[in-house]
Amino acid sequence: MKDKIIRWGLPVLFVLIAMPAVIHDTFFLRVVTEAVMWIGLAIAFDVLAGYTGYLNFGHGAFFGLGAYTTALLMMKAGWPFALALPMGGVMAAVAALIAGFPTLRLKGAYFAIATWALSRAVQQLALIMDITGGPDGMRLPPFLNPQFFYYLMLAIVAATFALLWYLLEHSPFGLKLKAIREDEQGAMALGLNPTKLKMQAFILSAVPTGILGGVYAYWITFIDPASTLGDLISDQALVMVVFGGMGTLIGPVIGAILIFAFKTLFWAYLSDFQLLYLIILGAVIALSVVFMPNGLWGTLGGFKKKKRDHENKLETSLEARLQKNEGE
Amino acid sequence: MPEPILKVDSVTKCFGGLTAVNNVSFQVQPGEIVGLLGPNGAGKTTLFNVISGYYAPTSGSITFKGQDISGKQPYTLATHGIGRTFQVVKPFAGLSVLENVVIASFLRYPKRADAERHAWQILESTGLADRANLSAASLTLAGRKRLEIGKALALEPSFLLLDEVVAGLNPTEADRTVELILQLKQQGMTILIVEHIMRVIMNISDRLVVLNFGEKIAEGAAAEVAKNPLVIEAYLGEAAA
Repeated sequence: MKDKIIRWGLPVLFVLIAMPAVIHDTFFLRVVTEAVMWIGLAIAFDVLAGYTGYLNFGHGAFFGLGAYTTALLMMKAGWPFALALPMGGVMAAVAALIAGFPTLRLKGAYFAIATWALSRAVQQLALIMDITGGPDGMRLPPFLNPQFFYYLMLAIVAATFALLWYLLEHSPFGLKLKAIREDEQGAMALGLNPTKLKMQAFILSAVPTGILGGVYAYWITFIDPASTLGDLISDQALVMVVFGGMGTLIGPVIGAILIFAFKTLFWAYLSDFQLLYLIILGAVIALSVVFMPNGLWGTLGGFKKKKRDHENKLETSLEARLQKNEGE
Repeated sequence: MPEPILKVDSVTKCFGGLTAVNNVSFQVQPGEIVGLLGPNGAGKTTLFNVISGYYAPTSGSITFKGQDISGKQPYTLATHGIGRTFQVVKPFAGLSVLENVVIASFLRYPKRADAERHAWQILESTGLADRANLSAASLTLAGRKRLEIGKALALEPSFLLLDEVVAGLNPTEADRTVELILQLKQQGMTILIVEHIMRVIMNISDRLVVLNFGEKIAEGAAAEVAKNPLVIEAYLGEAAA
């Protein structure tokens, strides 16, 4: 697994780093920057959704909180971007801590509803407060360097991916989260503290999301409650993760790329039929839940695993038969 | 008499108006296998859940190795050395058999490589090694019950609570599980076991504790308890006694 990640990850990273030197199209760079951002949002969403089994419909609130925190610190407190950005992550972590205590006791749909409601409350706050500019949003000083934002986004998402890969696929933490997902009561008997693990997962999911929100604010230079705190961020991350494959790191990356590419092409060529986009998005999610519950990556990987299981079973039964024959 | 490893001291557990366990006391000595008997609904599983920390006792106390553990969380008790299985087995169905045991091994072996090595040993000793890479969901009931024991053993407990690990198995599988339990006893494990199959529990237990309607009605060696009129009444009805 480790070798595979390095064998595939390094060339991909190299191509992504070299790309702006070869392709000078600003629109294209902008699209790829946003795609990279969505990869980050999707893998962060999957920490809780796929690995821990909690669908967080308030994921977008972490993004918005990060965006607003960075914007407010820069505009109202005069902080430099380099200091204001990490505070976006800190703010998201604090929000996760506060929201996690009551909501992580809930399960399934109840958790989804509670986090959705909390994120609505955060959006309402941003709408009525003076300091956030209410529905008019906030403007940030323009810093027009697309390459800077591309590399910053890439660095943050690559670092997030590496950290999540280490924690979820390599260290015991990931398996412990999966144990919580599969059976919380059973996990407790094995010495796992579900409250603590779920809180850690929640914060791990929130921090990169908040930081990405901060980058987004400075990059787009304009944020308002609808664009950074709306439903669409959580919904889209959910679709990417479910479509790509929950409970894996590669799945959400694939899901994010495909869904984002589809969205971009749709807006570029079929922008007269905007309504259709959401309908298609809804259909994709419904169909993939029914026909591909493990997502694209899980389904492809599942075939391989099934074959292996089958072979293992054959071997086992052969061995059993041989032993029996010997016994006779 | 040596210091008991487990002391259940007048434990009562109520759910609203229902008293599931009523003022039960008994002790378990190190290295002993104690059988917990009783008809359906007698409160055996509730008592298990109280001892293993899933329920806090309404009153009374539980002492483990001289320390009051009443009301402590299950994951804390696991570190103290209490391992348990569930009557309704709880495999991590989406994970492999090996991963199931590795998760339990993390308690004593925090490093992944060490935990995996330990898990393989457990799988060997419980006869699951050939199915290590299969998904836990693909195991038969016998396999799942074995996995329950394996996960509990991976915690390297000094005290094991087994909740109906034999019930539902065919005679061959049952014999293999009994053999495993006797092996554990030889290694010095202390075990409290709930089991409905009399043949099993009479044979492997050093002592029996019998519950009925939440109360302890008898305690002692198997032969004695089987003759106790209260026990016969609980199982067969008043006329038989």
